[in-house]
Amino acid sequence: MSKDFRRDLNREFDSISGSPSPALSARVRVALAENRPSRTGPFWMAGLAAGLIAAIVVGVLVVASFNRHQTSVLPGTAPTPSAAPSASPSASPTASPSASPSPVATPTSNLPAFVCGVNTSLSPQQAPLSAYVSDVRTGTHAGYDRITITFTDGLPGSISLKPQNSATFASGGGQGGNVTIAGQAGILVTMSSADEHTSYTGPTDLKTGYAVLAEARQIQDFEGYVQWALGLQSPACYRAFTLANPTRLVIDIQSS
Amino acid sequence: MMSAVMEQRPSAMQRAMEGDADSFAMLIDPLLNPAYRLAAVMLSDRMAAEDAVQEASVKAWRNLRQLRGDESSLRAWFLSIVANECRMTRRRRWWSVVKSAEVESERRSDAPSQEALTDLRRALARLGPDERLPLVLYFYLDLPLDEVARTLRVSQSAAKSRIYRAARRLRSDLTLEEVS
Repeated sequence: MSKDFRRDLNREFDSISGSPSPALSARVRVALAENRPSRTGPFWMAGLAAGLIAAIVVGVLVVASFNRHQTSVLPGTAPTPSAAPSASPSASPTASPSASPSPVATPTSNLPAFVCGVNTSLSPQQAPLSAYVSDVRTGTHAGYDRITITFTDGLPGSISLKPQNSATFASGGGQGGNVTIAGQAGILVTMSSADEHTSYTGPTDLKTGYAVLAEARQIQDFEGYVQWALGLQSPACYRAFTLANPTRLVIDIQSS
Repeated sequence: MMSAVMEQRPSAMQRAMEGDADSFAMLIDPLLNPAYRLAAVMLSDRMAAEDAVQEASVKAWRNLRQLRGDESSLRAWFLSIVANECRMTRRRRWWSVVKSAEVESERRSDAPSQEALTDLRRALARLGPDERLPLVLYFYLDLPLDEVARTLRVSQSAAKSRIYRAARRLRSDLTLEEVS
């Protein structure tokens, strides 16, 4: 490592941080004296805590159940103005399961229509320096399978979806080689200015066995690019949109 | 027969484990400066950094029994708590997304050329707090790689990769071998 680089970098860090206040040490001592470590409390406290946790779990299950039955439009939300995908004819020779790039289904809700065999790109207007993936979930619903990617600190700089006629994807991160996942077709989801290694500790390979979405696997998380490969049982139409609170990307793959 | 074993005074760590706040304060006192520097760089806000260090100290004190290992593990454990506290601070204060203005602070007479420094400063401002973290630990606080890894709670190879990745965003011609 160049000594100049280290020296210059440390100089910058010095200018950012300065020195701590001389009172910091005393301030911490006072705070410590006022905050004793937690000890084992009386049994009634344990009972109270257990009751509270049980109530929360029941509440969460009730809400989750309610959501599951209402997922054609996510509860209390509608697609953000920037969420409508701008479908354009695919440039990829492998991405044309359908001859027509026009939407083939008009949803009964205000969600965007499904599109077939075309690339989709979403460009949030105000992207953060890095959108941190915090959760990835899949689910199956009447008429479609869904994958939801949740972010903290806003949406990625750009999101693109590219359908393809096989479930073999080029491995990302400059590693070379291909990755083959379950299914006969696929969709490659690419997000820029995104980061999945900082806040996300969940699985990076979700084998679902759903009617159409067979598997979802992260194939890149490198230098601000995150890619997920979606393996489909057969070429399928899809829709992609973003929602707020929490900030998330939703991809629905039509199953019937 | 006289016992050859002399009674030993309990260590500061033992006393802290038994609830002695002064002993714990004594243990973390040398760590407050690096903790503050880490927090200040992650938050780009000196006052918020001191608040984060204080809060992290209290959390460390309350959860001291969760510390695995001996006193030598304390630094990495404590710094990881400070880093977590910084992340929480940022989440609480959404408006604090990279306050790079404070980077424009005092200049020194032995500073390198204005142009070179400006490039580095701009590149640094573009890094997210979690990208700055491995750089701070490795270059600024001069922690050995294994301690950087323990602070980040990742493997050594993953820690090295993070340092390299972040450093390359500051200097594109960097090689992996230079980060070792």
